[in-house]
Amino acid sequence: MAATEQPIVLPGDAIDPSLIPTHKKQPLRLGPGLRHIPPSYIVPTVAGQLVTDQKKNSMWIEYNSTRYIPSANDLVIGQVQRSATDLYYVNLSPYTSNAMLPHLAFEGATKKTRPQLAAGALVYARVTLANRHMDAELECVSATTGKAEGLGPLVGGMAFDVSLGLARRLLMARSREAGGVEVLELLGAEGLAFETAVGRNGRVWVSSDSAKTIVLVGRALRETDEGDLGVEKQRKLVKKLIRGMR
Amino acid sequence: MPREAEPSLNEKQFLLQAIQENLRLDGREPDQYRPLGLTFGDEHGVADVTLGKTRVLARASAEVTVPYADRPLDGVFTIATELSPMASPAFEVNRPTETEVLLSRLLEKTVRRSGALDTESLCLVAGQKCWSVRVDVHVLSHDGNLIDASCFAVVAALRHFRKPDTSIEGGVLTVYTPAEREPVPLGWLHSPFCVTWSYFGDEGETALLDATRAEEQVRVGSCTISLNRHGEICQIAKLGGTPVDALMLLQCTSIALAKVKEISSLLDRKLDEDTKQRNKGGRAAELTAENDR
Repeated sequence: MAATEQPIVLPGDAIDPSLIPTHKKQPLRLGPGLRHIPPSYIVPTVAGQLVTDQKKNSMWIEYNSTRYIPSANDLVIGQVQRSATDLYYVNLSPYTSNAMLPHLAFEGATKKTRPQLAAGALVYARVTLANRHMDAELECVSATTGKAEGLGPLVGGMAFDVSLGLARRLLMARSREAGGVEVLELLGAEGLAFETAVGRNGRVWVSSDSAKTIVLVGRALRETDEGDLGVEKQRKLVKKLIRGMR
Repeated sequence: MPREAEPSLNEKQFLLQAIQENLRLDGREPDQYRPLGLTFGDEHGVADVTLGKTRVLARASAEVTVPYADRPLDGVFTIATELSPMASPAFEVNRPTETEVLLSRLLEKTVRRSGALDTESLCLVAGQKCWSVRVDVHVLSHDGNLIDASCFAVVAALRHFRKPDTSIEGGVLTVYTPAEREPVPLGWLHSPFCVTWSYFGDEGETALLDATRAEEQVRVGSCTISLNRHGEICQIAKLGGTPVDALMLLQCTSIALAKVKEISSLLDRKLDEDTKQRNKGGRAAELTAENDR
């Protein structure tokens, strides 16, 4: 998309009506950072890039921040705080109220076979319910298929904190073209074996047989994030790190 | 009061495993500091220290007061530390945590009790008037090793500070403004710095310098050594934790000395740079009678 189609907006800016997508059947959907003020105003609430999708008839604002606000269908990495009678209290970001993960929301879980998670364990989960003034609810199983589909407790490995912007870019289907992050693919191409799980709440879990690889991936992610590196610089960074390792 | 956020089990396990394999998350050596940065403010006596992501601001100030009755020939010197919620949401104003108490105790022991500042030179009229020098330490961002960063900031602020010049004629004390007379530096005797070691493993067999916050949360003990570049140790604080081998402690002390020499020369260099920058053109520019017109 050309840059002219994605203008930078500030909170309270008026949005040019020509930028608002029109669709015959679907209702207009507003994503993060936009607010509808009845009857017909759409106002940005954060500073960022206004992105529109004609096909889905939706618009939202791309911005980078460090405070995570849960929204439904997000994939997140949570930290179990404690267990109640039939649910776990899971922390999505420090110093915020806990989200709830029912004991039975795991693949094939019954009262007897549910996973026993200690305080401090990490889980990869999907947000099922996120309303503004309520605690979020999570699940580790797909409600339609009954399969885990990659969700569940994360064993071993290490969790790294990244900015929400990078987490979102890593989760994009075409992260290289659309998001401009290639660092994980590059590290994989250099022959490092590792697996990752990216949580939209700004956490990346990395697991590998060798601790060295995990440290390397963590450093690559952090430097990409802090330096706001482009694809070309990411290549250089990966080469530098790999050279330093050998 | 919010409790400090605990790292997850995975993180704790991995950090310990990595440290055993001699790896640190940021790729440092066990005895390597994070990049140490120092900038001075526009005013004299303001030092802004960054150590990786940790950031501490120290500000020195002076006022004329009455000396303590039991020490009529000494000036007053205080260090005030404050950990605000800006550094971490786990800190609260007016409710000192253990970290804050330990930090202020250690700074007190290192800078004040070691006699780094010549308090006798702060006396103006015996038993009646003296300077009260105060350093305020503000932690702006907390990513581990607050002690070393704060101590460096305090020493840098005090050495950068200039107090107003004074004179006594016929029992009348005059304090001159900077326009009347150039302010004078404090009577400084030696520059002590803190070096903190963190210990890991069941018997504290691995020692790391300059632990980050994540490393601090999984360590089994720590030891703060304060010394100056001549190798004179001002204090050693090993507050609880796992006992540490004596030989290892000796080794830690000798490495600490090397580090202190580095830190000390960094401070000297920065102070020199700052003086040069403030004094552009030198004495000749100051004394010239010509004006820009």
